[in-house]
Amino acid sequence: MKEKEATVDYKEHQLVLYVEKKDGSYGPVRTGSYITKNYIDDFWYKRNNMEVEYGEKIRAGEISPIAYYMILEELTPSELAARVGISARKVKRHLMPRHFGTLTLDELMRYCGVFNIPLPNMFQEIVTDKKNVKIGMEKTDNPFFSVLRIRAARK
Amino acid sequence: MKGRTFKHAMAAHCESGTLTALLNHAGLKISEPMVFGISGGIFFGYFESKKFPFPTFVVRSRPGQIRTALARRIGVKFAERRFRNPADGEKELDRLLSLQIPAACQTDFFYMNYLPGHVRVHINVHFVVVVEKRGEAYIISDCYSPELASLNRDSLMKARFAGGSFAPKGFLFYPVSVPEAIDFRKAVWKGIRSASFYMVKLPMPFLGVKGIRMFAQKVVDWPRLARDTEHLSHEIMKINIFLEDQGTGGAGFRFMYATFLREASELLNDRDLLEMSKRIMEIGDRWREISLFAARIGKRRDLGPDRLRELSGLIHERADAEEIFFKELLAMSKKKK
Repeated sequence: MKEKEATVDYKEHQLVLYVEKKDGSYGPVRTGSYITKNYIDDFWYKRNNMEVEYGEKIRAGEISPIAYYMILEELTPSELAARVGISARKVKRHLMPRHFGTLTLDELMRYCGVFNIPLPNMFQEIVTDKKNVKIGMEKTDNPFFSVLRIRAARK
Repeated sequence: MKGRTFKHAMAAHCESGTLTALLNHAGLKISEPMVFGISGGIFFGYFESKKFPFPTFVVRSRPGQIRTALARRIGVKFAERRFRNPADGEKELDRLLSLQIPAACQTDFFYMNYLPGHVRVHINVHFVVVVEKRGEAYIISDCYSPELASLNRDSLMKARFAGGSFAPKGFLFYPVSVPEAIDFRKAVWKGIRSASFYMVKLPMPFLGVKGIRMFAQKVVDWPRLARDTEHLSHEIMKINIFLEDQGTGGAGFRFMYATFLREASELLNDRDLLEMSKRIMEIGDRWREISLFAARIGKRRDLGPDRLRELSGLIHERADAEEIFFKELLAMSKKKK
């Protein structure tokens, strides 16, 4: 690949490609990511649709929050089981709302660790119809307790 | 190497980049393509497994193999440790950092929260160099980050001790000795021979050139495996990510391999290698066309049978080209070793 074909002006996502340089030599060049620059909107569009679709399924009681996060983070039951440290059979049960209630707090915390989410996110969805607020969940030293901070965004 | 300021640099791939940075820090001048080529890192494998939510492919050798093969071929010695107990792993890393010894750690990429959210996925084979500890945060040299990054203790611990496939178990390594003289001729040809062998001689139908053919055959069946059109579009567009963006240097490592062959031809004064470097660069150009094609049809949701057959045809062509290329390279390596 010629150097000029590789060059993409996109500072938000930089990477290194190996190219044929102007003098005919081969070597690395730091450039922007072509796919992120041109297709990131499509990625977020699909991701958002998926969040809406599976969010509705949780609310309708068709799936558990564990199924929701597992699908969003592109894990399989067997991979998730290995990460949480329980059997795949047990994970498959936890994907169903009726078995979600049988989870122990310890298991739930381990799921949260894998998904990198605070514990309350397993039980709630935070929505707002205001555009000028910023909502953030903050961890505390107590693993069972977090702070939900709502800030007015700067105008 | 102890006490010297660690020089952060971006690289194409995390494992080869991490090794290159550590070896340069230890005083051995070696480039990333040389590390990759000598270790015989170029590869292809197509996988369908319960561990993956969708069929996937790899374009490099097994994680960790770049380090082990390189060490064997150039005689570098690494100190390597895994830990059962996370507290021991943390203690050992802190001990090394207190001695000003930067160490490479195997991590789950998902927890590298200094990188953009859309690139972070659960994969346990990401390598970073931990350079320093400042309070409760670690200073990380990640080949994918333009600058040195800061990662909190909690995230690094989660990343180092994530479970699942290729669980890192706190794995860390750093070079302890670098030979004064290296027989690069022998190392280069050994690397070429092993890479070519793995590409064309393995009997398994999902590995090497056979793996590329399997990918070409199976991609037309992907609509059956996808939840819906948007899922299929996402998976098809991931072909581009796996080939270009996920730390390959472009075209699924083919451009980096071309650079390795070019560098080797100059080092060994070998015209044949120069010729082969041009050929694999051309092969890579066609791979890049595939990745751009996949991104385009994915975004347009133009994923009908005809379009997927077209994609399949392009991949088959790459299999044919790589079969000829690696067979010739293997024959050459046997003659010149």
